[in-house]
Amino acid sequence: MDHNIPGQILEEELKGRAKYLTVFVILLFSILVLRLTNMQILKGSYYEGLARNNRVRVVNIPAQRGKIFDRNHEILADSRPAYNVMVIPEDIEKISDVSQRLSIILSRDQKEIADKIREAKSKPFNPVYIARDISFPQMAGIESQLFSLPGISIDTSNERDYLSKEVAPHVIGFLGEISRKQLSKLEPEDGYSPGDLIGKSGVEFICEDILRGVKGTRAFEVDALGRKMRVIDEQPPVSGQDVVLTIDKRLQMIARQSLGERAGAVVAINPFTGEILAMVSSPAYDPTVFLTPMPAEVWNGIIGDPLHPLENRAIRGQYSPGSMYKVIIAALAMTSKFITPTDKNFCPGKYTLGDSVFRCWRKEGHGSIGLVEALTVSCDVYFYNLGERLGINRMSEFSTELGLGRPTGIELKDEATGLVPTVEWKRRRFGQPWHKGESVITAIGQGFTLVTPLQVAKVMSGIVNGGKVLTPRILASTPQKLETNFNIGAEELDVIKRGLLSVVDNDRGTARAIKDPMFSIGGKTGTVQVVRGLFSKLPDEADLPYKMRDHAWFFGFSPVENPEILVVAIVEHGGHGASIAAPVVRDVIKGYYYSKGLSDEQVRQDNQ
Amino acid sequence: MSRYDKITNNIDWGLLATTMAIMAIGLLCIYSAVRVSHISIFFKQFVWIGIGIVIMIIAFAVDYRVHLRLAWPLYGMMVLGLVLVFVIGREISGARRWISLGPLSVQPSELAKIIMIIWMAYWGEKKDYFEGYGMKELVLPAIFIFIPVGLILAQPDLGTSGIVGMIALIMLLLLGIKRSTFITLSALFISILPFGWLSLRDYQRNRIFTFLDPSRDPLGTGYHATQSKIAVGSGGLWGKGFLEGTQTQLSFLPEHHTDFIFSVVAEEWGFAGSALLVFLYIVLVTKIIQIGHKAKDRFGAMLCFGIAGYFTLHIFINMSMAIGIFPVVGVPLPFVSYGGSFMFINMICIGLVLNVSWRRFIF
Repeated sequence: MDHNIPGQILEEELKGRAKYLTVFVILLFSILVLRLTNMQILKGSYYEGLARNNRVRVVNIPAQRGKIFDRNHEILADSRPAYNVMVIPEDIEKISDVSQRLSIILSRDQKEIADKIREAKSKPFNPVYIARDISFPQMAGIESQLFSLPGISIDTSNERDYLSKEVAPHVIGFLGEISRKQLSKLEPEDGYSPGDLIGKSGVEFICEDILRGVKGTRAFEVDALGRKMRVIDEQPPVSGQDVVLTIDKRLQMIARQSLGERAGAVVAINPFTGEILAMVSSPAYDPTVFLTPMPAEVWNGIIGDPLHPLENRAIRGQYSPGSMYKVIIAALAMTSKFITPTDKNFCPGKYTLGDSVFRCWRKEGHGSIGLVEALTVSCDVYFYNLGERLGINRMSEFSTELGLGRPTGIELKDEATGLVPTVEWKRRRFGQPWHKGESVITAIGQGFTLVTPLQVAKVMSGIVNGGKVLTPRILASTPQKLETNFNIGAEELDVIKRGLLSVVDNDRGTARAIKDPMFSIGGKTGTVQVVRGLFSKLPDEADLPYKMRDHAWFFGFSPVENPEILVVAIVEHGGHGASIAAPVVRDVIKGYYYSKGLSDEQVRQDNQ
Repeated sequence: MSRYDKITNNIDWGLLATTMAIMAIGLLCIYSAVRVSHISIFFKQFVWIGIGIVIMIIAFAVDYRVHLRLAWPLYGMMVLGLVLVFVIGREISGARRWISLGPLSVQPSELAKIIMIIWMAYWGEKKDYFEGYGMKELVLPAIFIFIPVGLILAQPDLGTSGIVGMIALIMLLLLGIKRSTFITLSALFISILPFGWLSLRDYQRNRIFTFLDPSRDPLGTGYHATQSKIAVGSGGLWGKGFLEGTQTQLSFLPEHHTDFIFSVVAEEWGFAGSALLVFLYIVLVTKIIQIGHKAKDRFGAMLCFGIAGYFTLHIFINMSMAIGIFPVVGVPLPFVSYGGSFMFINMICIGLVLNVSWRRFIF
């Protein structure tokens, strides 16, 4: 060969460069081995976890939520499993085929179903509900055809039925989807996940932990197409426990009907135990609308309603007590020996304090009257006088002892505190000293004092039961709790009760219109001036604009001798307590007797 | 010494045994991957291996120096095949890669790999420059390299054209390039890189994007990469056991008998199994390079180096794809992935290497 010498050299050079090839090869393979070491040995468990998640789907099995019963074990909120048709759009190939099968089983429009699936295709891996709460035969129909319905599955959920929707929404409350904020606050072991329903208000809220139960889980292996291969593990759910309320559904319904469309609240309580028998706030709302995400208009409609239907007025509404406060003053004056039952006082129709003149509601005056009569006719001057003599410190101290100015302690959340004015409070609030005149009007319930209907129920119970202030309760499981006992003497209690009885019973009584021959009612009216200093010249309050009309209060109890029930009613802008609120109280008391199943004769005997 | 002994003694049995061991691993994994849904694929692979062995024997038996004379006819055939793909090729998911010859489907781009190795080796044998290839000397080979690479890229098949191009490049570098030319060309390459990016198809670009961030689209383009990584990583040190790979058995991994077969190895046999496979490949490739070293002529050496480069690129790209350090480009794993054409090419390669090895004793 001619090129032998250079050829030889070239050969050597080529083979020399081949060393680089070997180095290159070793380098590349080392990268592979390093990477494999990292993935399989160092991070093996991480990827193992991913692999497990990949093939194991864990679905929650919702626990049946506990039911809510009234005191007679009648259902207020029911719970039952519901079946929903769910679709994973990605897994559907022939929309027409699937939608046709579904439309036959569900007897719905095929086009509608097809449209829903088509719409969902934009997010192909998001499960979408095609139909919620289908019947059992429909569920069975789909279940039997699941094999020819790829991408379709049946999902169980828990449906809440509020059997008597608007009867007690404020007490029972409502469920809604858990918010992101709530979720972020909870620990994972609390067991909530997005989309879960959680109690948002009322008993649903306070008894969430009792009612919800424990979710079950089902783990099954799936293949890449999401087809269920086999169930690996199943943990059955534990149903929530039922909750029994002290509420009496029948009384609740009567109170609701009696209040009607008017804004206001009714509270019925057993004055010797503190059990709430009825709690109504009006206007009401439909608690079922919160179960599913609602359109913004609906939500804004509820929130923007000037009457605030979501507000539980029984515990959140704060009003002046009006003349009902006179009962507290009477009890205070008696127990602190400021007056004796026989003491009389003269009412000329007005009360003068320094330069100020305070008028009695009856311009002509009531003449010389005792405590019983003063309560009967709701004489202002009599109590102006007591107010001046007792002074603000004694009045506020006693009010506070009775339970005003702070939450009543009922299990429900977000209770309003009301207000008991004191000298100190006024200085803080207005930077002004307390005027004697303010003590005077405080005594007739028109000062700064604010109370909620439930506070009235608690306080008045404490008076009519002889001085035992009990914490009101709405859950049957809550034990009775005595807050204080200021022991009203039998004689003094008798005087107060006589006064309250004649409010209804006496021909001069302010609530004589509700007198019922069947049973005795003791009580007291109250009228709250909404626009201070407005003395209507109009013959009929109804001619005033709604917002300027007075609030009407009444509390009543029966039987007077040994009260079994005490009812407080307020009708916002209702006008005079006597004519507007008192009939509501009478209706509830009447309903109470009838629901006990007593005959007219027995009721009459009990009340003698 | 009988004639038979003379033949057999000089055969590199170690290379053959390594190849067979790798094929055995491949068969186990294909069985595991397809036994539930497409068991027929497993049996077909036996057929391909059988035919492959016959082809290997032919590639071994015919003196490799024949290819020196066949280099140009083969090159012509290759170009014809690649052009025919555009005329009578079958289009599968947007790319034309196959042509039908009667009952056979041929992928000319696969053949191009081995033909370019032969052609480059031929070119190296014929055009040897003492000072290395300069700019002027590179013009012709560059054109002849570009023709198949460009045609394959136009199919479009980024993976294969890249591999053909890189094999040619490796072989050029082995032939020796002048230092100045090398520096100039490197600079030029870097400067045209952005234009290369612009010429990529959308799906190719998407693959690169999702390679950089697979979580961008875990169920779309990134699905393969993510699932494969999970399979490999979850294999751990010892693997989940034969037929126990959950990712494999529940078919989370698409194409796990072809391009993602390595994930099956790694998942079921763990680091132990995958490291063993890598080790076998290192043995295979270094043996081929050694044979190149011992080759009697420049052509034989170049053939071996080219084939070593070819295997290395396939193995590296395929495994890197499975372990998430390379975009998903559709490059199979030699002797392990399922597929007839690919098996045949690999067997030709082994046959040629044995050929070079055996004939060094002949002349």
